[in-house]
Amino acid sequence: MRFDKALLIFRKDWREIRRNWQVIGPMIVVPLLLSVMLPVLIGLVPSFTSTQNSSTRDLESVLRGLPNNIREEVSGLSGQEIVFYIMISYFFAPFFLIIPVMASTVIASDSFAGEKERRTIEALLASPISDGELLLGKILVSFIPSMFVTFGSFIVYSTVVISTSAYVFGALVMPPLAVWIPMIFGLTPVLSLTAIGLTVIISSRVKGFREAQQISGLLLIPIIILVLGQVSGALILGPLIVGLLILVFAAIDLAVFVIGVRLFRREEILSKLA
Amino acid sequence: MPRNVAVEAEDLIRRFNSFTAVDRLSFRVDEGEVFGFLGPNGAGKTTTVRMLACLLSPSEGSCKIGGYDVSREPLKVREIVGLLTENPSLYEKLTAYENMDFFAEAYGLTDLQEKKSRIAELLEFFDLWERRNDKAGTFSKGMKQKLAIARALVHRPPVILLDEPTSGLDPESARSIRDLIKKLSSQDRSTILLCTHRLEDAEKLCSRVMIVNQGRSIIVGSITDLANRMGGQKVLLVTLKDTSLKTVEAVGSLPHVKEVVQASPNQLTITVDDFDSVTPLVVKSIVESGGMILTVNPLIPSLEDAYLKLIKEAKH
Repeated sequence: MRFDKALLIFRKDWREIRRNWQVIGPMIVVPLLLSVMLPVLIGLVPSFTSTQNSSTRDLESVLRGLPNNIREEVSGLSGQEIVFYIMISYFFAPFFLIIPVMASTVIASDSFAGEKERRTIEALLASPISDGELLLGKILVSFIPSMFVTFGSFIVYSTVVISTSAYVFGALVMPPLAVWIPMIFGLTPVLSLTAIGLTVIISSRVKGFREAQQISGLLLIPIIILVLGQVSGALILGPLIVGLLILVFAAIDLAVFVIGVRLFRREEILSKLA
Repeated sequence: MPRNVAVEAEDLIRRFNSFTAVDRLSFRVDEGEVFGFLGPNGAGKTTTVRMLACLLSPSEGSCKIGGYDVSREPLKVREIVGLLTENPSLYEKLTAYENMDFFAEAYGLTDLQEKKSRIAELLEFFDLWERRNDKAGTFSKGMKQKLAIARALVHRPPVILLDEPTSGLDPESARSIRDLIKKLSSQDRSTILLCTHRLEDAEKLCSRVMIVNQGRSIIVGSITDLANRMGGQKVLLVTLKDTSLKTVEAVGSLPHVKEVVQASPNQLTITVDDFDSVTPLVVKSIVESGGMILTVNPLIPSLEDAYLKLIKEAKH
């Protein structure tokens, strides 16, 4: 395995991807919505409208479903502060799992299935680059930008949250780091690798980028379930749950990559050419 | 002096489930030779090229390129083969230079100066240097084809597989490609396997051709051999100022003249056994009978005649 050849694939794919708005567009818009728009709206809108009391009343029912430790965290805060804190600390956390899954599936679909669709794969496969180098290069180009976007979004999100809380409440509110740090730096990488591995498998079975992306989009369903679990209070992303999820996804990664490597064969790819 | 064998295929078979795309194909291509691979659509040409380029593995049989076995040493084979695929297979969002740069590095041209000068040499040859910073997606079909050929040659491969190299090119560009192929073969001693539908290309470039149909080899040989073997009878076309019955009878009475037909008021088609020995006798006889000759043309059977005849025969 020659790492320089994998890096060559990475550089080539990244050059192509950054000029492709079909890929770059969602990678900019979705993180911006989640990391800037949502916290700003939650922080600022209630202060400009007269819905504070009703939203606090709504939240009281939600609060009853939350674990004791979270209720203790918000004790002594005003209604609007509770809404803001609960939202930015817990309810938005699973949304941040959408970013690496979305980014890595969009890039991986383009990199694997897109190359077949555009019929550029034949010349690439005829070059003296081994299957392993090719696979590694394409995994890197899906993984690295998606991690950049995720980490960048987290930094932007934290900055927006701190600024908004300072502006609205005159105090600095930060997402609980015991949950967010392992989630962003532990869970999102393994989740991203799962998404890439599954996209590799899907891409080897389909002919085009759109088909691969549509099927890969199904990977968001477990995250949406997580969001619903969080909102209903049935499953709160605490440090323990995050740790467990890291282990589960690491195990899934291993299985998915063993299958993915087996399926990533030149002949298999060429036989599916449109 | 015997030449080294650059490509050697023995009983190559490739099956796709129950369908046999290539059926016991055997051939040898010498170093520096331009070998034509002719056949109708679906004959198995592209599948064979894909096996030679290590994109598909043979179901049975073996193939060696430059002494390396395509099944056992695919990376070595890929290093010494330049491939022009049926489709240009270019990265349309990358510039012409970036396309070349990527493949130069992929094929091991890591020395920066060497890489730059090789890319410049090829892009200049193909008149693409001025457009080097334009995305390949903005190129015309012909320009894409030229860029794809340049890419296939970037690492100076000793064995070059060209699938329809002049397809989509204007006559001038097609001619420059043919000239390049001749130069690669004669000066650089590159071995070229040319897959083409354009019999004109095969006639002008190939020392030998193989005609394939339904995955099987029908015939292998030099262009002249093939045309002579398959092209039918040898015919002399003589244009006269005027024809007379006396002239027709005089020519018809010559030994080794099989038939004389007055094709038009001033043309005779004369079927002969052999051009070299009979043509002077025919000319002499016409002049002696009072005929005034304007032109004498031997109608040499073309590769196209031979090809069409063979394919027709293979279908029946």
